[in-house]
Amino acid sequence: MRRLIAAEFRKLFSTRLWLWLLLGAMALTALYATLAIAFGDNPNNPTPPLSSVEGQGTLFSVGSGAATPFIAVLAAVGLTGEFRHRTVSATFLATPNRTRVLIAKLATYLVVGAGYAVVCIGVTTAIAVPWLSAKNIAVVAEGKVGTLLGTIAAVAIFGLIGVGAGALLRDQIATVVALLVYLFSVEPIVTRIPALQDWTKFLPGAAEDAMVRVVQSNTELLGQLQGGLLLLGYGVVLAVAGSLLTMRRDVT
Amino acid sequence: MVATEGAGRIEVSGLTKTFGQTKAVDDLSFTVEPGTVTGFLGPNGAGKTTTLRILLGLVTQDAGQATIGGRRYQDLPSPSDQVGAVLETSGFHPARSGRDHLRVYCTVNGYPASRADEVLEQVGLTAAARRRAGGYSLGMRQRLALATALLGDPEVLLLDEPANGLDPEGIAWMRRMLRDFATQGRTVLVSSHVLSEMQQLVDHVVIIDKGRLLRQGTLAELAGADTAVSVRTPQVDDLRAALERSAGADVRIERTGPDGLRVTGVDVGEVGRVAREQQIELHQLGVETSGLEEVFFALTAVDRGEVR
Repeated sequence: MRRLIAAEFRKLFSTRLWLWLLLGAMALTALYATLAIAFGDNPNNPTPPLSSVEGQGTLFSVGSGAATPFIAVLAAVGLTGEFRHRTVSATFLATPNRTRVLIAKLATYLVVGAGYAVVCIGVTTAIAVPWLSAKNIAVVAEGKVGTLLGTIAAVAIFGLIGVGAGALLRDQIATVVALLVYLFSVEPIVTRIPALQDWTKFLPGAAEDAMVRVVQSNTELLGQLQGGLLLLGYGVVLAVAGSLLTMRRDVT
Repeated sequence: MVATEGAGRIEVSGLTKTFGQTKAVDDLSFTVEPGTVTGFLGPNGAGKTTTLRILLGLVTQDAGQATIGGRRYQDLPSPSDQVGAVLETSGFHPARSGRDHLRVYCTVNGYPASRADEVLEQVGLTAAARRRAGGYSLGMRQRLALATALLGDPEVLLLDEPANGLDPEGIAWMRRMLRDFATQGRTVLVSSHVLSEMQQLVDHVVIIDKGRLLRQGTLAELAGADTAVSVRTPQVDDLRAALERSAGADVRIERTGPDGLRVTGVDVGEVGRVAREQQIELHQLGVETSGLEEVFFALTAVDRGEVR
C-alpha cells in the first residue's frame, strides 16, 4: 500500500494541476481573510466581534471554506482523470485489486487536503496577525488549537469526498460540476429554507462549519467531533458506494 | 526471467461476454503456447479486444475461463512481472512526460526509477522522454505503450493492434523485438485486423469472427489447408478424368481457362504422377500458396455466409 500511495503522489506531482489549484485556494483564503477583518466589526455584520474567541475562530478558519472546493476538485480530477485519459487500464493492470487503488487515492488526497489546509492557515496568519495588531486587537490563544486542527481535518476530509464522488460518478466533468454546484448552490439554498432548519446541520457544509466552529447568524451546528465524524461519514459512504457500484465495472 | 514450463501458457475456454444485445465473445476457446508469436486475427469488431481485456481482468466475462499460466490475471502474485500489455495508444495523461508516466508504474511495482530509462532506450524514445506525452505522435505513443508493457520484463506479452500508427521501419523493429522475445521462450499474443502485418511475424494464428473461433493452428497448417495446384495442359478433359479416378472424393477441380485447371485436395506430386501415368502432356505445373490474407478472407466470408 505504501508503494501505491507513493505512486499516487508521483502522478499528482508530475503534472501542475495541484499547484494551480493550491494558488487558487490561497488567493480565495486571502480574499476571505481580508473581508473578515475589513468588515468583521461592522455593526451590520452578524459575525461576532474580532476581539472575541468566536470572532477569531471564524477568521482563522476561513481557509477551510476557501480550500474546500479546490481540494474537492483536485481529488475528483485525480480519480476521474484516470478514466478520462484512459490511464486506468495501466493502473488496474499494475494493481488488479481496484479497492486497493481507491484506498490509495483516498489516503493520498486526505494528506494533500491537510497540506492545502496548512498552507491556507499560513496565508490567513500572515494577513491576520499584522493587521489585527495594527488595529490593536490581541490574538487570543483560546480555542485556536481546535480551530486550526478542525480546519486541517475538514479540508482533508473534503479530499476524501472528492475521491469518493469521482469513484461514484466516474465522469470527470459530471463530478466536478456536481461538487461545485452542491457547494456553491445547493447547500446555501437548502440552508435558507426555514422548514428544513432542523435538518440542515447534517449537511456536509454545515458539518464542516461545525468542525471549525464557525459562528454565523443563528444557524445551529453540531459539536466539533460530531461534525467531523459526520463529514468523514459522507466521504466514506461515497467511496464505498463508488467501490461497489462503479469501480467494478468493465474497463473497455 | 525466462518462463518456467507452462508459466506463460494462455488458456481461454468457453469464454462468453455480452454487451447489451451484442455477443462480443461467444463460447471462445483457444490456447497459446510459450515460445511462439501467435497472431490473434479477426476483422474489426470480432471480439479480439474484449478477449484480451478479459484475459487481463479489466472486463469480467459472463461465462468461461481465461487464464495465464493457469491463473486468472487478478490472481497472479505479481502481475506486472509476469504479463505486459499494450492495449491502447491513448492511455497517457497529456501533461505528464513519458518518463514520469513510466516512473509511476515503477513506483507501484517497486522497480528502481532507472528501469524507466532502460525501457525508454529499448523502444527508442530516450530523446522524447522528458516531453509531455500529449505532444507525442501516434508512433511515439505506441512505443511508450510498449515501454510500459516491458517495464516488468514479463514472460507474456499481450498486444492489441500494436502496429497501428507505426511507420514501416517501426513495424520492422517491432517484429524483430517480438520475435526475439518469443525466441527466449516467452509468449506473445498479438492481435491485428491488418493481416499483411502478421504474415511475416507470427508462427501460430487464432482467427475469430463475431466472437467465435474460426481456426487455430500454425501458419503453415493454415496456408496448407487451402493450397491449390495449377496446371496447364492441352488435354484438360483427360487430366480431369484421370485425377477424379485416382484421387476420389477429396479432389476438387476447377477450369481456369481453355487449357488450365486449378486442383485442390491433392498435392502437386500426385498431379504430376497421374499425368505421367496417363501420358498427358503438361505445359505448366505449379503450386498456388494462398497467402494468409486470402485464407483469412475466405474463412471470415464463409462464416458470414457471403460466398461459396
